[in-house]
Amino acid sequence: MKKLTLYWNSEVIIDFMFGLAALISGIITLVKPNTKNIRSLQFIRISIFFGSLSIFLDGISLLYLNVPISIIESFCTIPLALSMIIGVNYIIKENYTSLGLIITFGLGILIFYVGFQPGAVEIVFQNGYFRTAWIGLFSYLNLLNYLIIFAYIFYWGIKTVKNAPFLIKKEAIIFFIGITIYSPIASLFYILYLFDPFFILLSSVSGIIGLLIFALSITLEPKLLYILPFTIYRIIVKDRKGYPLFDFDWSKSEVNENIFTGFLNAVQLMSDEIVNMGGLLDINLKDGILILHESKNITVGLATSKSSTLLRDSVRKFTSDFETKFQKKLKESCHDMKEYKSAYELIEKHFSNFPSRLVPNKSHPLLLSNTLLKLPQHLEKDIQNIISDEQDYNFIKSEIFKSPEGSAAGFLSLYHEIKEELEKREKESKEENIDME
Amino acid sequence: MRYDIILTTEMLEHQSTQDVLEIAKEIVNQNKVLTTELLYNVAKRKLHIPRKGLLNIIQTLLNRKILVEGSKYTRDTVMVNPYRRMIYDFIKENVGSHFSLIKNDVDFSEGGTIASSGRLIWHLEMLLKFNLIKKVKIKNYTLFLPIEVSEEEGIFHFILRDEINIKIMRKMVVSKSIRGADIYKEINEKRELVYYRVKNLIELDLLLNEGANNENIIINPKKYDFITRILTKL
Repeated sequence: MKKLTLYWNSEVIIDFMFGLAALISGIITLVKPNTKNIRSLQFIRISIFFGSLSIFLDGISLLYLNVPISIIESFCTIPLALSMIIGVNYIIKENYTSLGLIITFGLGILIFYVGFQPGAVEIVFQNGYFRTAWIGLFSYLNLLNYLIIFAYIFYWGIKTVKNAPFLIKKEAIIFFIGITIYSPIASLFYILYLFDPFFILLSSVSGIIGLLIFALSITLEPKLLYILPFTIYRIIVKDRKGYPLFDFDWSKSEVNENIFTGFLNAVQLMSDEIVNMGGLLDINLKDGILILHESKNITVGLATSKSSTLLRDSVRKFTSDFETKFQKKLKESCHDMKEYKSAYELIEKHFSNFPSRLVPNKSHPLLLSNTLLKLPQHLEKDIQNIISDEQDYNFIKSEIFKSPEGSAAGFLSLYHEIKEELEKREKESKEENIDME
Repeated sequence: MRYDIILTTEMLEHQSTQDVLEIAKEIVNQNKVLTTELLYNVAKRKLHIPRKGLLNIIQTLLNRKILVEGSKYTRDTVMVNPYRRMIYDFIKENVGSHFSLIKNDVDFSEGGTIASSGRLIWHLEMLLKFNLIKKVKIKNYTLFLPIEVSEEEGIFHFILRDEINIKIMRKMVVSKSIRGADIYKEINEKRELVYYRVKNLIELDLLLNEGANNENIIINPKKYDFITRILTKL
């Protein structure tokens, strides 16, 4: 039996480390996120695993100086590229097709064809050792394929860092640094490899560093994997009689409040037809989309900047879980919103991949809610003396904190002025009536 | 300590969340502008909670609307409130409106459910504070006018809310000069109602007495163009 010779060199070791880094990254993307069944993430994960496989195969082909394994390694980059493009396409537009996908698919067929031609891979002496190397057209086609993959990864990185809410911005920047080292920097070294084979080592080292930083950022904040380039504004749950049971805001809504509740009410009126249609309805508005879902006991409305299959699925599952969780309360026709507060857990379960954008940046001013705000004692007393309604009092109190100085005093003075005026007019009117009598 | 599942009811009642909330209250009570950055820095220094956990607590407080967006109003953002916008639009369309008129309209628009006097006065004060409207006093009425409308025009619009005043002014524009004692006949109204109003219009400098014994009434020539312009608009 022929004994296999192992050709250990620095590139083999770096390749195995690179493959291991890719494998770790893939496992992290599989284990860390709470929401795992997101299509874009599934394709990106497949891409990472093919990347890992391809790098391991590269290491093995170098270790054994095996030409067929080097060709298989090249073929692995075809599903790597396709799944990465599909993943990014799903993030951007919730659809797998794009011109880039068609071009890459064509390129894949070409790589497959050229890979079977004689002389596609040869054993050459580079960097002071023998190695398998892609030659001629096969080399250029693979380079083009890598550049497309890197471009898509980088685009994903840009989109993620751009859309990340400020609370996870730090992790998003770490993520972006990882992606930058992994894609544009590594691809630059890969191009330079055409001129000097030494750069293949630098390209792989960049890949390892980039992937480890990427893995670290995902460990810190798994939500970075599914930051979508659209915003969801608000969800409202109403019972069949129209009583609001629960609401939750992710960001300030572009959709007019009256239109939002108006459509909810309209859907409730035609509920039987909607339920027969599957219970789900998309309404296109100038400033966004309303996804309305009608079930046995509740109507759920979600305002968003863009319609999406993922969102529709999330609304459907949220509605179903809400019905189950509060079955007893709904049957009792309980309208107290406090009783449905724990529905926040369902938000976390079904919408955890949509970060809150209520506060745009870390230096944006905040206020405590009305009930926790405290006015100076004398002001509180004066306002309470004239405003007996608790809701009105809380509203004015919250507005005072957002208003220029002196607004509260101005309000008290205007209140007394108008009150006095109304009393005088009433008195005059009574006197006139007496005179006439 | 795990902070991953922070959005549960238990986590809101968690001691760390309560501690962060206390710090937020302290900052507000010190009249400082509360921001995420300041709250984070102070809480981090005082409570030594890990970064991610602390950010999750702040996020929970935001999600639960315990911490709310708190930028000070500007001339633009103050109009985001639809109720305030409705009041402003009414004042713009009905120059020279007073409180009762505005309240009636708002009550009507909102089905009489929202327009408490206190809330309405608060909105008027905010519109005044941001120079979107101004007020002018005439007898027992405070009139609210869009900022670009002059006080004189506002008062005249207010006067012209009265049908008899409109009749008097229209007659005066056509006839130029009328004997004071005859105006009520010219417009076919009761003498005492017309007499009182003509007196008011003279006091407001819109009409003038003329003739040897001041027995004739004319429109103030200085205000003729202004009066005809507004009357044509009606």
